[in-house]
Amino acid sequence: MAAETSYLTGARADLEQSELAEEHLMLDPRPREEMNQMVMEAMTTTTPVYWAWVGGLALIVAVCLFGVWGYMTATGIGITGIRRPVFWGVFIVTFVFWIGISHAGTFVSAILRVFKAEFRRPFTRAAELMTTFGLAGGAMYPLIHLGRVWTFYYMVPYPNARWLWPNMRSPLVWDFLAITTYLLSSTIYLYLPLIPDLAMARDRTTGLRHRIYRLLALGWRGTEAEWHRLRKAINIFAFAIIPVMFSVHTIVSWDFAVGVVAGWHSTIFGPYFIIGAILSGVAAVVTILFVLRSAMRNFKYFIRPEHFDALGKLLLVFSMAWAYFFFNEYLLSWYGGEEAVQRILTLHATGPSAWVWYLMLICNVAIPWLTLWNRRIRRNPLAMFFITLAINVGMYAERYTIIPLTLGHQRMPFDWGIYNPSIFEISIAIGTMAMFCLLYLLASRAIPLIPVWEVQEGQMAHSLKKVGKAHVPSVTELE
Amino acid sequence: MITEPIHLALFEEDQINEAAEAISILRSQGVPDRNISVISGVPLSEHILGRPMSWSRVGLIGLAGAVAGFLAALAITYLPVLIYPLNVGRMPVFPIPTTLVVVFELTMLGLLISTLLGVFVETITPSYGPHGYDPRIAHGKIGILFTCPPEVDCESYDQLVALGAELTHNLQERKLWP
Repeated sequence: MAAETSYLTGARADLEQSELAEEHLMLDPRPREEMNQMVMEAMTTTTPVYWAWVGGLALIVAVCLFGVWGYMTATGIGITGIRRPVFWGVFIVTFVFWIGISHAGTFVSAILRVFKAEFRRPFTRAAELMTTFGLAGGAMYPLIHLGRVWTFYYMVPYPNARWLWPNMRSPLVWDFLAITTYLLSSTIYLYLPLIPDLAMARDRTTGLRHRIYRLLALGWRGTEAEWHRLRKAINIFAFAIIPVMFSVHTIVSWDFAVGVVAGWHSTIFGPYFIIGAILSGVAAVVTILFVLRSAMRNFKYFIRPEHFDALGKLLLVFSMAWAYFFFNEYLLSWYGGEEAVQRILTLHATGPSAWVWYLMLICNVAIPWLTLWNRRIRRNPLAMFFITLAINVGMYAERYTIIPLTLGHQRMPFDWGIYNPSIFEISIAIGTMAMFCLLYLLASRAIPLIPVWEVQEGQMAHSLKKVGKAHVPSVTELE
Repeated sequence: MITEPIHLALFEEDQINEAAEAISILRSQGVPDRNISVISGVPLSEHILGRPMSWSRVGLIGLAGAVAGFLAALAITYLPVLIYPLNVGRMPVFPIPTTLVVVFELTMLGLLISTLLGVFVETITPSYGPHGYDPRIAHGKIGILFTCPPEVDCESYDQLVALGAELTHNLQERKLWP
């Protein structure tokens, strides 16, 4: 009888352990060689469907982005819908949208690294890549919005022929510096943890690929000094890039808030924009993880429902935080009693474009709150894909509400107007979206999207510990 | 510059204890720490392997870059005003709050770029200790590179093999990678 009980206990323990291994990537280790092979296979396999996507997206980029932009440059910015009183339209909305999206890379990678959130390990690179490409898309918009793009150097602060020295403290310079700093630092932050994986790719490739990886891997051998140096640099970046991230979207919000435009002149705009950016960025990470998991070979091993679950919880918290800031901003602006502001807020909710305002609230508040509390929904990748798409639609609607819908009803009633974006603006916005997807698609075959050494490091640190009659996951501090 | 033959003891990825033991054995045989170098596919900190602390000046170089960025920010915000003072009614010539944004961004930019430069500089700086590589390191194996000074009898490799090491000799004759 005793032997039977012990057999049952052993079988239950085995079942418990296999369930835990299935659930957690960190408790399901595979030999490093196998994981390397899985990542390299995903990286080097291209199917006709892949090339069809690349071709289709490249065509959209060529026609919708560069073609239409070229046409607009040749014809004049009059072909867009921006005219008195709304001079900031879809271009600026999309600019803010992309800058917001780019926040998740840093958030997911740096903040979760600082707090040692273990679930981050397999998807930090996917998020960092999103930051770089999101910023690249966003950074095009000041040029596109300029219209006369050949005079872009007027924006560069330099002493001009009239002996007027530029004002280096203007919000334009803030924007330029903040976006440049963030783009450079997030690209470097993407590159540094990539070095050991580039060395892995170097050792497994031949020809041109080998030569490129060899150059980028900086002669990496994995010595103690190299790891020490890399760790130190990554730590410096992880801590330093967080305030940079906060500064970027704060400065973007100040583009609006430092003016006296009714509806924009708000002290809460900085944190309100940051929360919105993190919400949209984390949502975009989930969307991308779903696509990667579905499209890339072997990624189902690395990206699991536990990751969607963890990110879903974060999304729920950020959705609540966004609602809190929105309510704060709305309520206090309303009770400020300024007639123009009250009129704008009323128009947002009851005017001809009220559907945008309701779309924002439905997508950013109702959908996440009604779904993400449920563990089964959070663990369903397809459901999470649609929820996160909806959140980003909501965040786009938020920016649309803040920018053209607010500008259209300022203090002078004779100067009111409704902004209707032209097909050209919409086309360029679609073009940058296609460019983002195209760059991501190409990068997925050029660099290892899974940081294999970080995954292995995590798996080494994790084990099952017997507590009473149960086996529970435990993490050892290896650093 | 090391002139002695370089040996490599290769351990499986789960043989961390054995690798640490092998380092102790080499040390007990009289091989100094500077003649031993560990290469691995995951970061193994010094205290895990019982090795002396590595040092790095990346932090210091980063700090120097931050100071340079800070000074550059002060220069670009204050020098134009000194050269061409623009007096606008009731507005300060040297406004501090708006300057802070520029100073912050350039300081951080200096810090982050110089941290990367620090990694580059240290990478190209000649390093001491035995050089060598085996592509299986990227598969998670742990390698101990060592050389035996002439005064040390290093012939007893059996102890390393008994720990599970796969030994390779004369790595100095091999190219690091094709």
